[in-house]
Amino acid sequence: MIEEHVIETYEEEREQKGFIRTLFSWLGKNIKFLFVPGYIPEDLVARRQKFEMLRSKRKFIRRLRSTLTIIGIGILFVLVTFAIFAPWISEYSFTELTGLSWNNWRPPSEAHPLGTTEYGRDVLGRLVWGARSSLTIALPALLFAVFFGVIVGVVSGYFGGWVDGILMRIMDVFLAFPGIILILVMISIFGPRMEYFMLAYGILGIAGYSRLIRGSVLQAKELPYVEAARVSGAGHFRMIFKHILPNTFQPVLISFTFDIGGIILSLAGLSFLGYGDSSLIEWGNDIAKGRYHLYDAPWAALWPGVMIIITVLGFMLVGDGLRDALDPRLKNL
Amino acid sequence: MSLLKYIFRRILIMIPVLFGAITVVFILSRMMPGDPTSAYLPVNATIEHREAIRRYLGLDQPLIIQYFRYIGDLLTGNWGLSSNISKGQPVWDLIWQRFPRTLELTLFSVLVASLIGIRAGVFTAKHRNKAKDTAVRGFALVGVSIPVFWLGMLMQYSLTYMLPNWIEAVWGVDVKIFPAVGYKTAGYADPPMITGFRLIDSLVSGKLYLFVDYLHHLILPVLALSFITLASITRQTRSSMLEVLQQDYIRTARAKGCKEKDVVSSHALKNALIPTITIIGLSFGSLLGGAVLTETTFNLKGMGNLMINAIRRYDYFVINATVFLTALIFVVVNLLMDVLYGLLDPRIRF
Repeated sequence: MIEEHVIETYEEEREQKGFIRTLFSWLGKNIKFLFVPGYIPEDLVARRQKFEMLRSKRKFIRRLRSTLTIIGIGILFVLVTFAIFAPWISEYSFTELTGLSWNNWRPPSEAHPLGTTEYGRDVLGRLVWGARSSLTIALPALLFAVFFGVIVGVVSGYFGGWVDGILMRIMDVFLAFPGIILILVMISIFGPRMEYFMLAYGILGIAGYSRLIRGSVLQAKELPYVEAARVSGAGHFRMIFKHILPNTFQPVLISFTFDIGGIILSLAGLSFLGYGDSSLIEWGNDIAKGRYHLYDAPWAALWPGVMIIITVLGFMLVGDGLRDALDPRLKNL
Repeated sequence: MSLLKYIFRRILIMIPVLFGAITVVFILSRMMPGDPTSAYLPVNATIEHREAIRRYLGLDQPLIIQYFRYIGDLLTGNWGLSSNISKGQPVWDLIWQRFPRTLELTLFSVLVASLIGIRAGVFTAKHRNKAKDTAVRGFALVGVSIPVFWLGMLMQYSLTYMLPNWIEAVWGVDVKIFPAVGYKTAGYADPPMITGFRLIDSLVSGKLYLFVDYLHHLILPVLALSFITLASITRQTRSSMLEVLQQDYIRTARAKGCKEKDVVSSHALKNALIPTITIIGLSFGSLLGGAVLTETTFNLKGMGNLMINAIRRYDYFVINATVFLTALIFVVVNLLMDVLYGLLDPRIRF
């Protein structure tokens, strides 16, 4: 009889079967633990302490399960799928969707489920491909903004004094303009290219996030355990990374999801005005082009707008769900 | 009085921010392509002529002197001449012609959005988790996700195309309820320029038909622009009301026998309004941006439209003036919001 080697640890399983299968098997083993409050697996009964530590995370995932949030997550999932797999999802290729054809402004039909727009481009295809441009501009821009906003906010809030004053005045100057106008001017100087959009939104976002993080840092500094860490001799680095930063994580995450929606709306507005990157497929651009044929070909201008709404709605729903799930006052639910 | 001192302190803080904003505009405008002198010259001007104008405008001076001259010009209203939009026209006149329209649009939108939004937010907080609450919340959530220009277009399509067609089909009457574009009907003359605000001017000079006409043309743009702000104000009011209603002093007020109406309006609302006012102040910025989009959709000749065209054509002086004006408005609105804070919450004044 051949002795079977029993897989004992997750590391072994990972080596043998690969990461994804390990992930799924972990999920399968723990699904009851994650989703049912009050369930304790047998092997953890003896280790209640570890279980208690995990309890808040379980509750968090449990609270995320409200219907609207799941709808939001579903929308985001579909959106990311559109963005990544656009060439395989849509029947028409990128060149067909940005090219010329004789098929202008046809009503919805078999070949074009939502009709065609100017130059015979398929509306549905452009909806699918448009997800790419919106997401690729919004996400890196916000990551840039969060990264530098954290730096500025932590330096400003932690060290205080005149550094705080000067940095916050500079951020106030950036916040003194409505965003769309600053971006308009910056784009008109440097040209309407995708990378410049990312940079412009990133720079503008730094002001907002640094303010947010500075507020969190100031609050965190008052906490007793932070004071205790200081008294017991923690140096600056350790204070910041271990004690203060974890407290700032929460509002930043929530603001991040809402801001992605905001950037997508703002981008749509810019491309509506004609300032977008014309080599990209943008929903706002479609709306602008379709505007002149609103009365005889309404499908061209209406569907991109619906897509924008669904996209931003997805982010808003997830943001709302996160905010409600993380709310400390509702910890008892 | 500490309120006055508070106001004074806020003004003192705003001044460096305003100067910082002017500096940013200066830097950006110097980096823009486009020649400031072309506003003052015919197209076929000689080089000497151009050089003379450059010296007149002070463009050959060192940058620091240009900077101070720039600030002086901006603050005294000497905003130069437009080169592309309407050649040779002083920018001050051009903006003063259009700025009141944008201001009317924005002010009306803020008013409508605040009034309806705060009441809606209180309503949903009172009936939380019931069907009415869910309906309004869903509405508000969708409202925050709608792009302004698309909403305007939707209103144009449904209210100026589908609605009259339906009315005609059902009742045979060919009537236009809402005007699709424009800020006034074509044949009407402008009222005499007393304040520049055509609503006030038409009222004051007795031409009521003009007043009604302007209001009529403002309905759809204001509806579109205020819808989004309304949604966000509702959301914010709801969440801050919920937070405030859990406080102990509300329980005390109820225990002491206050009527629920009074509890909500005089105890809870004042405290809940503080974050809401932040949102209203912030929304003003997005309203200004949204006014740009709304003006493009409805073809209202306002300052937003002017800014877009100026940026597109690199009209140096117009861009400077409009961006400066926008920043000024934003700073002033923030100042007003801070003062309102101080009025509402005495703790902040100290």
